Amino acid sequence: MRGTWLIFRKEMLEFSKDRKTVFFTFILPLILYPTIFTMMTKLAKGDSDKQKGRPSRVVLIDPTSAIRPLLQKGTKEFELVEAPEGDLKKALLDQKLDLILDVDPEAAAKLARQETFTLTTQVDESERASELALKRLKKALESQNQAWVKARLESAHASSMLAEPAKLVEQNASDKAREMGKIMGAWLPYLLIIVMYAGAMQHGAYVTAGEKERGTLLSLLSTRLSRKSIIYGKLLMVFTVGLGSAVASLAGWFLGFASLSKEIASSTQAAASTAPQVSAMANLANPANLLLALFLVIPMGLLFSAIIVLLGTQARNTREATMSMTPGIFIVMMLGMFSSAPGVEKMAALPWVPILNVSLSIRKLFGEQFVAWEYTLALGMTIVLAAAAVALATKLLDREEALFKV
Amino acid sequence: MIELRNVHKAFTVKDKKNRKPKRIEAVRGISFSVKPGEIYGLLGPNGAGKSTTLRMIASLMLPDQGSIQVCGMDTKAEPEGVRGKLAFLSTDMSVYDRFTPREILRLFGEFQGVEPLTAERRGLHLMDRFGMGDFADVKVDGFSSGQKQKLSIARALLHDPKVVIFDEPTTGLDVLTAKTVLDLLRIMRDEGRTVIVSTHVMPMVEKICDRVGIIFDGQLHGDAPPRELLQRFNVGTLDEVFFQLANGKEA
Repeated sequence: MRGTWLIFRKEMLEFSKDRKTVFFTFILPLILYPTIFTMMTKLAKGDSDKQKGRPSRVVLIDPTSAIRPLLQKGTKEFELVEAPEGDLKKALLDQKLDLILDVDPEAAAKLARQETFTLTTQVDESERASELALKRLKKALESQNQAWVKARLESAHASSMLAEPAKLVEQNASDKAREMGKIMGAWLPYLLIIVMYAGAMQHGAYVTAGEKERGTLLSLLSTRLSRKSIIYGKLLMVFTVGLGSAVASLAGWFLGFASLSKEIASSTQAAASTAPQVSAMANLANPANLLLALFLVIPMGLLFSAIIVLLGTQARNTREATMSMTPGIFIVMMLGMFSSAPGVEKMAALPWVPILNVSLSIRKLFGEQFVAWEYTLALGMTIVLAAAAVALATKLLDREEALFKV
Repeated sequence: MIELRNVHKAFTVKDKKNRKPKRIEAVRGISFSVKPGEIYGLLGPNGAGKSTTLRMIASLMLPDQGSIQVCGMDTKAEPEGVRGKLAFLSTDMSVYDRFTPREILRLFGEFQGVEPLTAERRGLHLMDRFGMGDFADVKVDGFSSGQKQKLSIARALLHDPKVVIFDEPTTGLDVLTAKTVLDLLRIMRDEGRTVIVSTHVMPMVEKICDRVGIIFDGQLHGDAPPRELLQRFNVGTLDEVFFQLANGKEA
């Protein structure tokens, strides 16, 4: 036990000497995520405000002026522009206009005869401005259509209710905080799994294959410390750094989300609209939830660390170690992405799949859908797997072929 | 006291041609002993089995057959106990670049069960002897290979070992420091420690070794004082003994 502690302390001390690595592992996520979140929000908000603040540029082809008054009425939303010379479609794609509206040449006559006429639009769906123009047109046309229908019914001395036999009233049983919690809970395990593996991987290669490559492992092995204590000490270090980097990334993510909420609150919307986010964050930061999540994360981190130390010690050098560990990051990324997909939580077999069941339990924990047996199963299964991985790693690493493979 | 009895060690390597595992016998039935107060020189060409033999004595590797006793302890039964009694240094070893010598000495003192301050004092004393007293708090990162070798020696000896195993101890050292190391080995012998040195520098062997063992193809050829070996082969230098053994192998 003392040997394990001595090696762990030495590894942590060595790690702390490399200020750049410490910065990139623990400090950068705390700065990076809030910065990225704030910048993204500001950019998106700036673009959205810009679009909403200016009228949509529409080229209207309406020989009978059936629609023209509708678009001229709300002058703030639409700006009727002259058709530019040349190809209209190209002008649209070049963002010289936002929408082309071609109205039936007999629209006015058809309207008078109480018939249906067509309006054809051309938009560039890849452009927000064009999308917004279409949205505005649909909204304007919807209320105009209702007015026309009402007028036609009145002229036929019929009730306006004829046009609307049933009226749908939508009510959301779930509150916004719960919805936000579900969204955040779905992404939390994904982040946790990836960051834990990636964080452990970088340092795992350094303390295993790196020590072999630099010729320092032999000096450790030649001391009176047992092989097991050396392996356990390294394992503990890889686990600690992996967990530490996951915590730092999560803290950065929370900070980022907090700054995002602040940004939304400072916008034109009412401050009350951020209440769901704040409430969802409070749910995520609930000590009981965090503690339960931590119980799951510890064996999972140990499992990852054992795999990484095992791969690192079997390798001849850091390059070889990194190469053998890299496929793992794609595997955990895929697992993470799968576990964060909508509807996955309903799959009956999922609680029996290792790693994914951890992800599922964390997701349900923060989405206020905690299922005790699923949690216990995930915890038990991960503990057994972690213990098996640690035992296997220790057994394989104690072999001379692994330790002296150079 | 070190005693090797009929020690065998083989490794399995992959044959790149037919991709089948191949068994290579690195050490084949080596037996010799080294008494306290004696310097034993282990000589042999590259790949002869010297390093494997030294690693087995240091309990870093275990013999497949036979037994090795160090200070009355069997290397298979008590590997940690054996390593606590001996100092092992080889050219494959290096020191941690991110630490200072003082930190390394303290850490390794703790690894060897010595009080950090005592380990630091002993290690720094040796560094002083090697002319490196001013570098105790300088990061190892910028050290030359010779300076790293001096620090490695200080690190290896800080727990006051009864047995010293040095593989190529003077590699990378200047003439003056090499002499200091050789003097240190003599002092350790005079203090009653058991010393094994492996080297390619024959004049050094003739100068300091009380007995010499020559390894060829994993087997020990000749285990005698240098002078006796010269007489037995009827030659003037150990280099010539070496050549004769190599020629004999070819014949």
